[in-house]
Amino acid sequence: MKTIKTFITIFIMTLGLTSCDDELDIAPFTQGDADTFYNSVNNFEVAINGMYSSFFNYYSNGSGVQGLPDILSDNAIIARTGRGSNQVFSDFTYGANNGGYITSVFNGAYTTIRRANLIISQIENIDGEAERDNILGQALAGRAFAHLDLVRTYGKIPTQSADANASLGITYIKEPIDALSQLSRETVASNYENIIADLTDALDLIDETTLVDEDKVEGAFNKNSVRGMLSRVYLYTGNNQAVIDIVDEITAPLATRIEIPGVYTDSNDAGLLVEFAVNTASESNFNNVGVIYSQTIDGSTVSEFAVDFGLFNSLQFSDVRTNIITFAAENEGNDYNAINKFIGETEQVNGRVDIKALRVAEAILNKAEAQFELGLEGDALQTLDLLRAQRFSPFTIGTETGQDLEDAIQTNRRIELAFEGHRFYDLKRRGDAIERGTFGDLANGTGTPNTTQTLEAGNFRFQLPIPQAEINVNPNYTQNEGY
Amino acid sequence: MKTLLQKVLVLCTILSASALFAQGRIITGTVTEANGPLPGATVVIKGTSTGTQTDFDGNFSIEAASSDVLSFSYVGFKTLDIQVGNQNSINATLEADNSLAEVVITGYGSRSRDLSTAATTTVSAGSIEDFVPSTSVDNILQGKAAGVQVTAANGQPGQTAFVQIRGVGSINAATTPLYVIDGAPIEAEFVNNINPNDIETLTILKDAATVSKYGSRGANGVILITTKRGRSKDAKFVFRSSIGTSERIADPFDLMNASQKLELERQYAALGVPQAQGLPGATSSPEELARLIGNDTNWEDALLRKGYIQSNSLAISGADEKINYFLSLGYDKNTGIIDRIDGFERISARLNTTYEARDWLTVGTNISASRSTTDLPRDRNNVQNPFRFLYDANPYETLFLRDGNNEIVTNADGEPQFNPTTSGFPVAQALQTEPETNTNFLLVANIFADLKFSDKFSNRFAVGTTTNRGRTVARSIAGGTLDPIVGDSNFPGTQRESLNVDFQYNVSNVFGYKDTFGEKHNISADVLLEYNERIFTRTNVSGRGFPSADIPFLDVAADFSDGGSTEVRNSLFSQGLFVDYDYDGKYLVSASVRNDASSRFGPENQNAIFYSGSAAWNIAKEDFMEGSIFNDLKLRASYGSSGNQNIGNNQFVNLIGFGTYNGNSSAVPGGIANPDIKWEQQFLADIGVEFGLFNNRISGVVDYYVKTSEDLLLNRPISGLVGDGNNGILSNIGKIENSGLEVALNFDAIKTEDWRVSLGGNIAFLDNEVKELVDGEDINNGNTILRVGEEINTFFLVEYAGVNPGNGEPLYLTADGDVTNQYSADFAKTLEGKSPLANIEGGFYGNIRYKGFGLRGDFVFKAGNYIQNFQRSAGVQIGNIDSNQRVEAFNYWQQPGDQNVLPNPLYEATADQTSTRFLEKGDYVRLRTLTLSYDIPSKLLDRTGLSSVRIYGTGQNLLTFTDYEGDPEIGIGSAENSGPGDAGFVAGQFSLFSYPQTKSLTFGVDIGF
Repeated sequence: MKTIKTFITIFIMTLGLTSCDDELDIAPFTQGDADTFYNSVNNFEVAINGMYSSFFNYYSNGSGVQGLPDILSDNAIIARTGRGSNQVFSDFTYGANNGGYITSVFNGAYTTIRRANLIISQIENIDGEAERDNILGQALAGRAFAHLDLVRTYGKIPTQSADANASLGITYIKEPIDALSQLSRETVASNYENIIADLTDALDLIDETTLVDEDKVEGAFNKNSVRGMLSRVYLYTGNNQAVIDIVDEITAPLATRIEIPGVYTDSNDAGLLVEFAVNTASESNFNNVGVIYSQTIDGSTVSEFAVDFGLFNSLQFSDVRTNIITFAAENEGNDYNAINKFIGETEQVNGRVDIKALRVAEAILNKAEAQFELGLEGDALQTLDLLRAQRFSPFTIGTETGQDLEDAIQTNRRIELAFEGHRFYDLKRRGDAIERGTFGDLANGTGTPNTTQTLEAGNFRFQLPIPQAEINVNPNYTQNEGY
Repeated sequence: MKTLLQKVLVLCTILSASALFAQGRIITGTVTEANGPLPGATVVIKGTSTGTQTDFDGNFSIEAASSDVLSFSYVGFKTLDIQVGNQNSINATLEADNSLAEVVITGYGSRSRDLSTAATTTVSAGSIEDFVPSTSVDNILQGKAAGVQVTAANGQPGQTAFVQIRGVGSINAATTPLYVIDGAPIEAEFVNNINPNDIETLTILKDAATVSKYGSRGANGVILITTKRGRSKDAKFVFRSSIGTSERIADPFDLMNASQKLELERQYAALGVPQAQGLPGATSSPEELARLIGNDTNWEDALLRKGYIQSNSLAISGADEKINYFLSLGYDKNTGIIDRIDGFERISARLNTTYEARDWLTVGTNISASRSTTDLPRDRNNVQNPFRFLYDANPYETLFLRDGNNEIVTNADGEPQFNPTTSGFPVAQALQTEPETNTNFLLVANIFADLKFSDKFSNRFAVGTTTNRGRTVARSIAGGTLDPIVGDSNFPGTQRESLNVDFQYNVSNVFGYKDTFGEKHNISADVLLEYNERIFTRTNVSGRGFPSADIPFLDVAADFSDGGSTEVRNSLFSQGLFVDYDYDGKYLVSASVRNDASSRFGPENQNAIFYSGSAAWNIAKEDFMEGSIFNDLKLRASYGSSGNQNIGNNQFVNLIGFGTYNGNSSAVPGGIANPDIKWEQQFLADIGVEFGLFNNRISGVVDYYVKTSEDLLLNRPISGLVGDGNNGILSNIGKIENSGLEVALNFDAIKTEDWRVSLGGNIAFLDNEVKELVDGEDINNGNTILRVGEEINTFFLVEYAGVNPGNGEPLYLTADGDVTNQYSADFAKTLEGKSPLANIEGGFYGNIRYKGFGLRGDFVFKAGNYIQNFQRSAGVQIGNIDSNQRVEAFNYWQQPGDQNVLPNPLYEATADQTSTRFLEKGDYVRLRTLTLSYDIPSKLLDRTGLSSVRIYGTGQNLLTFTDYEGDPEIGIGSAENSGPGDAGFVAGQFSLFSYPQTKSLTFGVDIGF
């Protein structure tokens, strides 16, 4: 008996002396250590995918860049049988406390920028020069493109008004910053200088084609992507000659009239310069970019937004884009000109497709507009016809001049890029008002019109408010006028 | 524990008694208590093992000599000693022992209440039993213990509650107390799987004297759950059964009916409100209007039902010389009030045994297993939530689609087709085609061995494990509501499954020493070693393409669309020393020190030491108190520290998560880490007095405490420019202070043979204040703010200034206090003294018994808190004119001079804004339970073989007194993004269509044999 007790006593004492230190060092099971992660080409490639996925997220998150700028314009009208999502944007009643696009672009773009900067600041960890250059080029282009989204959303666009360049832009972040930083806003002019500088560097570094998989090129930046981005930035800054020059360097062909319907169902990638891709086979839980416009419930298309009747009227039967843009849908006994872009891949209505952020067609339209602005009307018409030849059947060579030509360029731009996240920024950069007219939401133009039918040029709401959360934590960040 | 030992000892003596030759004469007598004879009382000759028990009528007979002293005892009564002398007949009247419980559990052990220096509250089995319809233990605690704030999360069957002990001790780390069941820690989320009928006592540890012993896990207080043990010699059977119904508590306001809603639409359209122009009230022909008015759907009836509640349990318990056992089975069902889905169902089983293997060794186990299933309705702030839908759905729309002849439209299978309504979401259909079910299997298994080395040295070694296996299955059935939206037409039907296994084990060893010097100096010391590890694993998989809706298993899925697995671990290693000293039971001193090392902190901050000291003076035991009215009078004080480590793992390192992009791996940098994070610390000072007067007819406890929580881990909001993804960094930022006064009183007003009337209650006054934040800067969480000098989470809103009587425009106050017709978020200001936290909270009860009849009512109350009534705002919001409205919405400004009205609907842009307009006081008093019961007299049961039969009816939440425009009992506002664990979650901050509280009526019977 006594031995048993002694034994137990010793056993307990031993237990007490046993150190448990090792048991307390528990590394995370499904995550890596960020401080040592950026150490191989493979890991940098995984990291650059992280940057792209952040783009995908804020372009597609239900109030994203792929669709919301059309809601903030005369392209889309709110369907009264929808859920009323994004209504504050449609109504132009948003304030600094609203979420949606206001927080989504701000946080999404800066998250993307941090991911780019983590790569850029540690790029020396890659040994091979070719791999290093291509990854650095993509990261720089991503950083610039995300800043462009920020500055065009929260700041003025240089061509918008005379005071734009000197007005408040956003903060251009070039390296991962300290968690407790409280940075101030910079000017629009300095933002665009930085964007152009990053894109110019990227153009030197990046590959002509970036292979994501062995033969797959979709969803990653390459030289043509950067050229496309530059063409947009030059147009925004009014540097028309530079637009023409850079567009001339683009080697990717325009999507043909045969190809173009398949671009929107992801059957082909023709004419895509910047695309944020989703693999619908394995990523079925990713954002559905098309949900911003409609959902299909019980077989009927429940439109959140429908095609504005004015835009609908400008679509011609001979234009291949008409059926790409719209289809007739019925919900609760109402007929709508529903939005067809991004409704899904072939035979799908789930709204899950790749994001088309920048296409050759935009570059061509940028060039035509730049040529027109420089007074080169003949060149401009020729450039515009390059596009129209691939959109109309039958196609007749254009004859427009002067105002008619300018209108033709802008109308084609509105139709070509409709519902892809451009219209608000195009009206804004041209200093135009948003004039929606009095048409209603239904297919024949009756129904309920927009709550706010006009946003005059120069209205403060062209610059979206800085999220209130930022103003709260960062007293150095100035709110835009009017909010 | 002491009573148990006594009982076992007594049983031993009884067993051996018959074998002994007794000398002396036969003494007979009756043992009674205030209510009558006391059957089963123990009568022992003091100092011997000779004894007997009283029969059903309280009679006994025993052989004893004149010099003997007879000792009469019974559980719950004070032991009475009587010298035999020359008496042949001795009648003993035992006095009930009303000090709340004789023995209190003090953490890692127990102690006689007399000798405890700690502030603890014990809720015993008796008071739990009146709360039958509550299926979760934590809900039962509401109003039962001073200083324990219980907020029901929502009314969903099986839902747990938010329990806070002595205010909010943390802001970001969890504030739930540590639950320990029979010595083994258990996560609060699993407490709802414990059968309340198994519980003997719930002990709440509140002050430093006890919580410091739990070190880094004690800061939020500790709730010790002790399950039942066998006591009686013969097996005792207790069968309980109850059934009942539940329903939604009626709203204190009216929703519009079809004709009212159409009229409001017409009025809005006539005024020129754009959203109303296309609505039926504005556009319909008179015939159409008549048809719509005829629809007049009551959406509450269409979507909800009367819930059905059922509870059955059987317990068998008993004891023998060396073994005791308690075995139970339980079944509970609560369908909830949402039609078309099942609610909560639980089966449970338990076996507790203790065996005295050697005179120096006792081993025991407590094992329980339970399985519950819960159907999870979508608790979202949108039409997918039936509780939002029933307020939003227009009464002129119908549940089923109707054709031109007003006939119900059927689908291909001949079933009526649900109407998607203007909301576009046929929620009644979705409840059936989008089911989500959670199944939990909880196994709690503890083993222990008590060793007695000598009179002075002992040791307890215990291993406790809790394992919860939770499986969640969420489906979108092909052809249902969501499949066409979220699914893939090539693969009809989707199903998501996840399996969570949460395993926690706790190994502890307490080596004890106990000694007495000079007869009056009693000292004891315990050395604790404890290791705790929690291992959580999750596996999830999703599939799509189901050939049949009837086979909800992924084996038949055509395609697997998603899957994953993960593991999380954390561990804690602790050493402690606890010392107690008393001088003759009058002067008591205790101290504790404990070192904890946690895996949750970086190498620099892994260890922390927690300590406490406490003292008490049993004034009633002093000679000078002899003969006073006080049966009990104790003063006590304690001070000590504890910690909080309830934060995520690995927060001190920068992490990279992984996802995919376009089918390839992608890296997702996590938030920015703070390598310097360390334990939250808490310092708790408490003084208290416990008293019992007039034979304990009046008893009570008063405590005052100050609780300072320092180094609070807060997700400090940071600039979005950092781009870390969540705009925050975890930091040991602040300091908050909670202080409060707690009073608990019980009064046995009438105590006669037939009548017994007792009253009691508790009240806690609570103050809290933010003391320090980094650089004194506010932390703004949207509608609430943390500001030095203010209450925690004080509301931060734009002040509403009513309606301009001239034109009906809503008015606000600018930041400078000027009235303006503009709305800007910049006008928001800190609303001093208005926060979601109550300043006064408690409960009271009245209990009347006449013979076998009993009537008991328990009230709970809360005051001083504010709630953002978003539900009301949704019910009158101009922009919501396409949804149904409260009748109140008619009361809008119509002509100059109108006052106390809602804004003119033409000012939607400024009217539909978040402001103080819908910030309401949350004060309420609620009759939580009212129970009418009848105990059939034992005389009538004599021949039945039954020992007790009790029948009763209980109503829950029958009455509510409040000015709040809705149900004031709110925990979760909406589980969509403000559930526990979500950033900035504050229980009770706002109401937003979560599962409402229900009222219920149950009838039951308890049978003992």
